[in-house]
Amino acid sequence: MSSPGALRPPPTANPPAAPSGARPVRRKRRRTWRQALRRDWQLYSLAVLPLLFFLIFRYLPMLGNVIAFRRFRPGGSIFGDYWVGLRYIRMFLSDPTFWDVFTNTLVLGGLTLLFCFPLPIVLALLLNELRSTRLKRFVQSVSYLPHFLSIVIVAAMVMQLLSIDGTVNQLVRAVGGEAVPFLQQAGWFRSIYVSSEVWQTVGWGTILYLAALTTIDEDLYEAARIDGANRWRQTWHVTLPGIRPTMVTLLILNIGTFMAVGFEKILLLYNPLTYPTADVISTYLFRVGIVSNNFSYAAAIGLFESVIGLTLVLSANAISRRAVGASLW
Amino acid sequence: MVIADRVASRRVARARTGIRPSRGYRVFRVVNAIVLTGIVVVTLYPFVNIVARSLSDNAYIVAGQVNLVPRGFNIAAYKAVMSDPLFWTNYRNTVFYTVVATAVALVLTTCYAYVLSKKHLKGRTALVGIAVFTMFFSGGLIPNYVLVTSLGLKNTVWAIALPNAISVFNLLVMKAFFESLPVELEEAAAVDGLNTYGILLRIVLPLSKAVVATMLLFYAVSFWNSWFSAFLYMDQMDLLPVTVYLRNLIAGATDATSTGGGLGSATDVVQSAATIQAVTIVLTVLPILTVYPFIQRYFVSGVMLGAVKG
Amino acid sequence: MVQLSRRHLLFAAGAAAVVSVAGCGDDADKKDLTDNRVGAMDKYGVGDQFKATTSVSFSMLYNNHPNYPLKNDWLFWSELTKRTGVKIEPVAVPLSDYEQKRSVLIGAGDAPLIIPKTYHPQEEAYVSSGAILPVSDYLDLMPNFTDSIEKWNLQPEIDALRQEDGKFYLLPGLHEKPWQDYTLAVRMDILEELKIPVPQTWDDVYTMLKAMKAKYPNVYPFSDRFSKPNPAGNLLNMLALAYGLEGAGWNFHHTSWDASAKKFVYTGASEKYKAVLEYLHKLVAEGLLDPETFTQTDDQARQKLASGKSFVISANAQSIVNDYRPDMAKTLPNARVAKIPFPIGPAGPMNPASRLENGIMISTKARDSKNFVAMMQFIDWLWYSESGKEFAKWGVEGVTYTKDSSGKHTLAPDVDVLGLNPKGTKHLQKDFGFYNGIFAYGGKPELVQGFFSPEEVEFQNVLNARPPVPVPPPHPLSDAEREQVTLWETPLKDFVYGNSLKFILGQRDLGEWDAYVNELNGKNMGSYLDIINKAYDRYQKNHG
Repeated sequence: MSSPGALRPPPTANPPAAPSGARPVRRKRRRTWRQALRRDWQLYSLAVLPLLFFLIFRYLPMLGNVIAFRRFRPGGSIFGDYWVGLRYIRMFLSDPTFWDVFTNTLVLGGLTLLFCFPLPIVLALLLNELRSTRLKRFVQSVSYLPHFLSIVIVAAMVMQLLSIDGTVNQLVRAVGGEAVPFLQQAGWFRSIYVSSEVWQTVGWGTILYLAALTTIDEDLYEAARIDGANRWRQTWHVTLPGIRPTMVTLLILNIGTFMAVGFEKILLLYNPLTYPTADVISTYLFRVGIVSNNFSYAAAIGLFESVIGLTLVLSANAISRRAVGASLW
Repeated sequence: MVIADRVASRRVARARTGIRPSRGYRVFRVVNAIVLTGIVVVTLYPFVNIVARSLSDNAYIVAGQVNLVPRGFNIAAYKAVMSDPLFWTNYRNTVFYTVVATAVALVLTTCYAYVLSKKHLKGRTALVGIAVFTMFFSGGLIPNYVLVTSLGLKNTVWAIALPNAISVFNLLVMKAFFESLPVELEEAAAVDGLNTYGILLRIVLPLSKAVVATMLLFYAVSFWNSWFSAFLYMDQMDLLPVTVYLRNLIAGATDATSTGGGLGSATDVVQSAATIQAVTIVLTVLPILTVYPFIQRYFVSGVMLGAVKG
Repeated sequence: MVQLSRRHLLFAAGAAAVVSVAGCGDDADKKDLTDNRVGAMDKYGVGDQFKATTSVSFSMLYNNHPNYPLKNDWLFWSELTKRTGVKIEPVAVPLSDYEQKRSVLIGAGDAPLIIPKTYHPQEEAYVSSGAILPVSDYLDLMPNFTDSIEKWNLQPEIDALRQEDGKFYLLPGLHEKPWQDYTLAVRMDILEELKIPVPQTWDDVYTMLKAMKAKYPNVYPFSDRFSKPNPAGNLLNMLALAYGLEGAGWNFHHTSWDASAKKFVYTGASEKYKAVLEYLHKLVAEGLLDPETFTQTDDQARQKLASGKSFVISANAQSIVNDYRPDMAKTLPNARVAKIPFPIGPAGPMNPASRLENGIMISTKARDSKNFVAMMQFIDWLWYSESGKEFAKWGVEGVTYTKDSSGKHTLAPDVDVLGLNPKGTKHLQKDFGFYNGIFAYGGKPELVQGFFSPEEVEFQNVLNARPPVPVPPPHPLSDAEREQVTLWETPLKDFVYGNSLKFILGQRDLGEWDAYVNELNGKNMGSYLDIINKAYDRYQKNHG
């Protein structure tokens, strides 16, 4: 292999994704593939094992999703026993509970995005302004801690803290309030979920931003100061644009996973009294699909969820490519 | 983090020698320090509380009288948990599974991320698409189970390591890092006659220690905390990781009432002390907390997440 | 065998399903057991010790309890093999997620042969696929099981397990007498102080609470526990039963049988259920029942009892001994708390407990095993014979227990269980593997009550003098009906829970009852009942 860099043609802006295309150009394309393979076979060889992983452990099990259109009976064929067409799709579209949990998913996902996306940026900026290195280091270390806890543990902690005799209610009583059964009131669930999510993820989330902050050219600050910009304006005009690529990437990823609100945590924290706000698609699926063994119904809803997720990430990516010229791929 | 500190302190130093910071900014700094200290307190409190509980008498926990300081100090619960051989067996499993799974994940993720970072590569968009698609579409529980069992992976470490070998999020982070490396070094190495493998091993990876360390931590923590794969694919108690042990302990304690009602027989009524739970929590989290300060210094310099210009 | 079926499933899953369904319909084939007798005893009847003629092993799903985790060196295993020639290969599943793993294993066709710890109607989901065996076809292999059903008149209970095809798929644990453990516990010293007799009915309970409140106006005399995950799980259930319904709270039954109208009614919309809510609302409104009852944790309820802030609480035998008395020993040394007999309601005196326990499903794969007959005989011996049950509960005579001439069992002095021999160094469950919830339940009262205290035996005697509750008639659903019904059940149940609490706590006026019933109808309650009642009629026509 002689110098791959030297032979490299300028990267095409829009390489055709799929090899199957119109017939006339096919021949020409095959030749380019052959060229590409001859030149980059070592690179392609590195992709073999990961591709095998995706094929076997990700794409093969996807075949099971066919049960969204076939009747699956626990213990029968894993690909379902007979075709039922769009029966399960129609079923959930006409299920009022589905739309309740769908709304809850949107609200919880939205709130999570609203708080868990910007707060790490704020915390990173605050940390960046600290003068004492020791304090900064300490705050950073402590704020990463919750990330290391498994959800089982976090849920146990939340339940202990919010119980009637828990610390929060002790504080409430200390200021003369009446103890609140937080975990049994639907009105509190969203706050509890989002704050525990913030508690658990914000510190860890700063890592990526702090890294980006280090890459900002010092001269830009210097120039801004000469222009008479104060700290706040420097942050606005230099710091934030500097970490914009990181922000955009994370925002796209977050939007894509918008619907995937923490199933396990909700499952561990909710109860029938908080279902009105706490029940999300995945937990409803769990009760209907796993506990009641309606796997076909679950698969149909799962597909619906996937389509929404993929649509969201594709549109977010496209918008971002147009608006700020950055994209995931 | 080291770099971050250095840059920050340099900046502060410059600010000091240059224009005097405005009064508003000085006030802000004080407020900022107070706010951050508050964050520390809020974050730290549950940890202190758990430790205090683990060292307290059960009666005081039931009465809700344990906050920051242990009451009825005793270490009996530690002795009880630590004298259970199953706990240690499961603990060893957790360590073993984490090491193997993390190693596999690192190798596969690094290879693929490196390939994806080569912008000239034909079919690259498709390769990225293949990965991103799996973030949203996945197979159900039962197809996955049938797959793993028919591959004969059940009751082996591979049942945990292989199905979760690549996290697409980590893949994209790593890909972005590789893309940010200067192309010139690789080109020079190629001129010197190194092939792609050589370039990856001798040029790229040494430059990427930081991202590798971060990925190592990301993966290790997620494998350390995972329980579901193990629960699904392990049929013997002495193969389970400590997370399942812990889960069983906590769920067992709360299950007693929910399955009661004349349905369960009396032998099922569980009396698992609150202290035991706290102790198990402390013992599970402790190793991570002791290890991670050593890796911490790589974090900030390790992750260079940027979007592709395009 | 398991290996084969795995490959089978992955590569020819569709074909496999067709074959297994087809195999199910063939009746002549089913009765021919000549190829399945390896290891089986030629003559095996009631009172016989089962012993496999060759050594055999069976896989079994094992619900692993955190309090006595599975050990391979338990005396239980070695002695079992010695006596029966059978080795059990347990597939250990943590108790915390037992049902989920069971669902995945059966769904993936990878289930062990013996699947215990299954509570009716959990088995129904697996009926239509043919994954589990219609055990009713093979009762001739199980002399002890059939003998117990006959001897103890359990036929109506068994019939309630039947599916649409008239067969049943679950081998339930059998009790000779119902065993109702849960009831109310009351501070006996307060009763004496107020000179009130022990309440017998729910009206008596109300009178008692009134008197307590009159004397101690600052307390809520009744503050209950068992509210997680379902609010007031035990209290609602007790009242529903006493008012003639099939169950509520943690024993939630969507439908109850109305014997006079010969049809099923929706429990949560019935007049009886309304009466239950009215009763509870009265207690709350008059300050007799702590409103926190429905939301508080068990610990908080215990705290209130232990500190004299309440006098009445839900209880079972263990909670009296393990929770309340130790709690009070420190704070209220003069207090005495005890169970009262299950209070009687409008439905009259009854023993509300079912005589069926959780049971065993058998994987259909077992039918093809050459050891199938031996396995059924083994199950019959271990779970249903007197000697098998004695072995599973008490262990080995001379090692874990002794028996006097009258047949009374006594624990060996160095063996402890449930704190009966506090000085014992070895634990019957943890160190020997006996009295394990998977193997030991049910049987004659003497056996069930083996570890009971005298006061608990007394409580059981009072309840056993009452008639058992009638069992609702079978109303098995077809596969398609069940699928539809399960999708309606979750929202219906959530709605009943939420509104029950609102009615009780006065957040919603009971005058709005009709509106509430209409809202239930909007959640498909009417269609739900139609399906159930149609299923009942159909079963009556085909099998009645």
